[in-house]
Amino acid sequence: MELILVNLIDGLVTGLLLFMLSAGLTLIFSMMGVLNFAHASFYMLGAYFAYQISIALGFWMGLLIAPLIVGIMGAGVERYGLRRVHQYGHVPELIFTFGLALLIEELVQFIWGKNQMPYSVPDVLNFTAFAIAGNSIPAYKIFMIFISIAIFIGLLYILTRTRVGMIIQAALSYPRTVEALGHNVPLIFMGVFGVGTALAGVAGVIAGPVLGTFPGMAFVLGSIVFVTIVIGGLGSLWGALVASLLIGWITTFAKSYNIAMSDILNGIGIPSPADLDTSAFRDLWTVTSPQIADILPYILMVMILIFRPQGLFGKRQS
Amino acid sequence: MSVPALQLEGLKKSFGKAEIIRGVDLEIGRGERHAVIGPNGAGKSTLFNLITARFAPTEGKVRLHGEDLSGLQPFQINRKGLSRSFQITNIFPRMTVFENVRCALLWAQGYRYSFWNLVNRSRQLTESTDAILDQINLSERRDLPAGTLSYAEQRALEIGITIAGGADVIMLDEPTAGMSHSETDYITELILKVTEGKTLVMVEHDMGVVFNLADRISVLVYGEIIATGKPADVRGDPRVQEAYLGEALETEQ
Amino acid sequence: MTDTNVKDPARSKEQITTDPSKPAQRMGAGSMTLTLTPWLIGAVLLAILPFVFTSNSALTIMNQMWITVIFALAYNMLLGQGGMLSFGHAVYAGVGGFACMHIMNASDFFASFPLPVLPIFGGLFGMGLALIVGSFSTRSAGTVFAMISLGVGELIAASSVIVVAFFGGEEGISGDRTYAMPFFGNEFLQQIDVYYLISFWVIVSAALMYLWSRTPVGRMANAVRDNPERAEFLGYSARWVRFYSFVASGFFAGIAGGLFAINYEILTEENLNTASSGIILLVTFLGGVGFFFGPIIGAIVFTLVQTVLSLETDLWAFYAGTLFVATVMFFPGGLAGLMMMHVPAFKLGKAGYLVRPYIRTLIPAAIGTLGLCALVEMTFHVRHAATGDTQMTLFWIPFDSHAILPWVIAAAIALIGLGIARATTPALRDAWNEANTAGDRS
Repeated sequence: MELILVNLIDGLVTGLLLFMLSAGLTLIFSMMGVLNFAHASFYMLGAYFAYQISIALGFWMGLLIAPLIVGIMGAGVERYGLRRVHQYGHVPELIFTFGLALLIEELVQFIWGKNQMPYSVPDVLNFTAFAIAGNSIPAYKIFMIFISIAIFIGLLYILTRTRVGMIIQAALSYPRTVEALGHNVPLIFMGVFGVGTALAGVAGVIAGPVLGTFPGMAFVLGSIVFVTIVIGGLGSLWGALVASLLIGWITTFAKSYNIAMSDILNGIGIPSPADLDTSAFRDLWTVTSPQIADILPYILMVMILIFRPQGLFGKRQS
Repeated sequence: MSVPALQLEGLKKSFGKAEIIRGVDLEIGRGERHAVIGPNGAGKSTLFNLITARFAPTEGKVRLHGEDLSGLQPFQINRKGLSRSFQITNIFPRMTVFENVRCALLWAQGYRYSFWNLVNRSRQLTESTDAILDQINLSERRDLPAGTLSYAEQRALEIGITIAGGADVIMLDEPTAGMSHSETDYITELILKVTEGKTLVMVEHDMGVVFNLADRISVLVYGEIIATGKPADVRGDPRVQEAYLGEALETEQ
Repeated sequence: MTDTNVKDPARSKEQITTDPSKPAQRMGAGSMTLTLTPWLIGAVLLAILPFVFTSNSALTIMNQMWITVIFALAYNMLLGQGGMLSFGHAVYAGVGGFACMHIMNASDFFASFPLPVLPIFGGLFGMGLALIVGSFSTRSAGTVFAMISLGVGELIAASSVIVVAFFGGEEGISGDRTYAMPFFGNEFLQQIDVYYLISFWVIVSAALMYLWSRTPVGRMANAVRDNPERAEFLGYSARWVRFYSFVASGFFAGIAGGLFAINYEILTEENLNTASSGIILLVTFLGGVGFFFGPIIGAIVFTLVQTVLSLETDLWAFYAGTLFVATVMFFPGGLAGLMMMHVPAFKLGKAGYLVRPYIRTLIPAAIGTLGLCALVEMTFHVRHAATGDTQMTLFWIPFDSHAILPWVIAAAIALIGLGIARATTPALRDAWNEANTAGDRS
């Protein structure tokens, strides 16, 4: 029972982290129709910038400044890159963001090298918040949960309660009309892109100390983020939330409970073959849940695509 | 009594709460030229999209030569001999004019998804494509990318693509929209020429074109057909005058 | 959704007809000589290249190049011809390769046919996988297709560590090509034998892929790419057209994978992962997706850049990435597009007008870029070289990377070079306009 609670907390941390990325990605996608392949690269930049700032000014300044820089860079990418490529169509846009992701990874290696950075949890938060049945929960995890939830409440407030939020919501569905009403839609696009990437930056700042700050970090999380928004339904913010939490919990639970495939198969009445070592299916029989935890999201995605192509919360495409 | 080419039975379509098509019954005979007119927002294009399965109807049926089309995809309907054009020019802008028409011929000539035939080795394919280009007067533009043609030429190409497959029911959605007078006359003549002996259903705003071309006219207002009949009868129908022509007259004044 | 294609003039200017058939059309269906010529030249070139570049390393590079050519052409059946962007195409080549590896290791079966036949099995396995994945992934093009391809690619790449029986886990699987039935007495012991085997398959696959683009389903792939809705109203199901392209592309990718297995005799997870899929996208796009021969140029240029540049600098991937992003932003037609841009000038007989302006602009630009690269290399050296190591060599000149002078020189070269290029650009633009306008300017 206690273990379940611990896993719930761990899964929540992962899920909220994923959501911080998938929210920005979804917002950008539904507004501009661009799936920003480099989104996770901005997450990586957030971590690296925060590390660099934290050396001089400490963790908290990093948390404050790094997302700002990332957001400004994101806005710049929209203004000088995407807007230019936009005229060629959606596929070149996607290719552009893909190339950008490659380039940012190379750039990060160019500046910081290939090794992991010693970016770590600030001392203030480096203690055990509480323990459940002998499993200690670090305060930093609680901090991560709070900060992500706080950001979302803020985002929700801005989107639904402020004038800017109203204009953004309108521009999501009717960009031309909004433009005709005298609003500067390109500016709104740039702003949304900037905010979306800044959110990814925040995620990088707070995830860097736990998940590691290294050049491959964008790729590790990036493809999971895409899977998340496909599962949730492209363009649906609620879908992104549900799918993020779902993936967070599924992977956490799969990792902590060692369920062997042979047990499941035996459980449903299929006996293990006698010649297991030579059987062609031996890999299937010997698989355990921690082994496949990392590919579960992909399996889930393929299932969703086959049985519900529009995603959990997506609108049916006409 | 022969089976009508196209039959609509209690066709309805709602988008959310808005009922756009509110029960349309219509029979269009074989070889008839039928025009659907009506004020803006009456649902003419929606009706077209329902017939060609671009949208699924909320209720009701469409029959082509007596055969129920429910649940069929656009490409399946096309294979049954119904072809349509679009209000907004809908061609393959990056392909040449010749290729545009040739693509329209492939299925009809039985090439299906074959990968063992080479398109430019087929004399028949090339010849029938050229014949259609000749019909729509675009032979000189043959090798240009379709996107570089003038608007009127693109509309002509659109009609060419629509008729190329040899479908016997042709549906044209505002073929003369946005054209000058001379262009309109040119397209009208073209339509007369290429739909010879075929069933034609068209949505059109230009009354001159409608009265020139149509054997019968249906007037669609707020998702319902309020009158169907010969042009002269429809023109004389007081309800039509009130709902549509009157309005048109007012705007002209 | 589709109407923007037509209306946006900026876009239509950049449009490049993916229509390798155009010359053939103008000649009519009868004459085959002109269509055959490039293939014959290609075959002759392939045959004599080993006599020109005799070294072993040259052979290695060329083998890799031709395998990449097949893979890139297969990839372009999706991207260029069908408008489908795949982020996971390496798995089709990879699975084809792994299958061939297993066949190599099944000695009885392997000994029953000659080695040149093996790639067909790779193709069949690649096609088989494409049949399965395509059945649900080709429902739509664009973003959704791209995402599915990425997810499926990741899934298969990640399973390679789990399904050890097929993928061999971390160390992959290896085999020995010489156990096949001798082919006219040849056991493919030498690199050169493999070279001719690969060359044979390059010509055959490229020709088949070219012919594919001339078939009804190949033509409709273009139509569906440009306007899927219109294609549906012409009797073709966009989904099935995409599906056929996808399956065919999987087949040829599998052939490339089979050749990879023959050439390297080992396959690992690296042959499946997203990095490999990304590289083939890069290669194809760099070469140009708008023309059939684009991917061929891309594969040749990229392989050269990769092998030559990676010997010279650690930063080659950085340069390749920059080049790629610049291509997407400024030359979406790729190298093939750049080449074909000059066709009108040649037709007007005015290509000569461009030579001098090009020299005046491009040479300073190249020198300036080299200056920039020098700055980049020096920065990298200062940041990452071992402490105390201040000596570096650039362009055969050894110097101290911590001294001021080299920085000043590199910066000056960059500034002056790019400055001259910038100053001469208007003249180049004028010459370009002149060369592309019919008749004499009075």
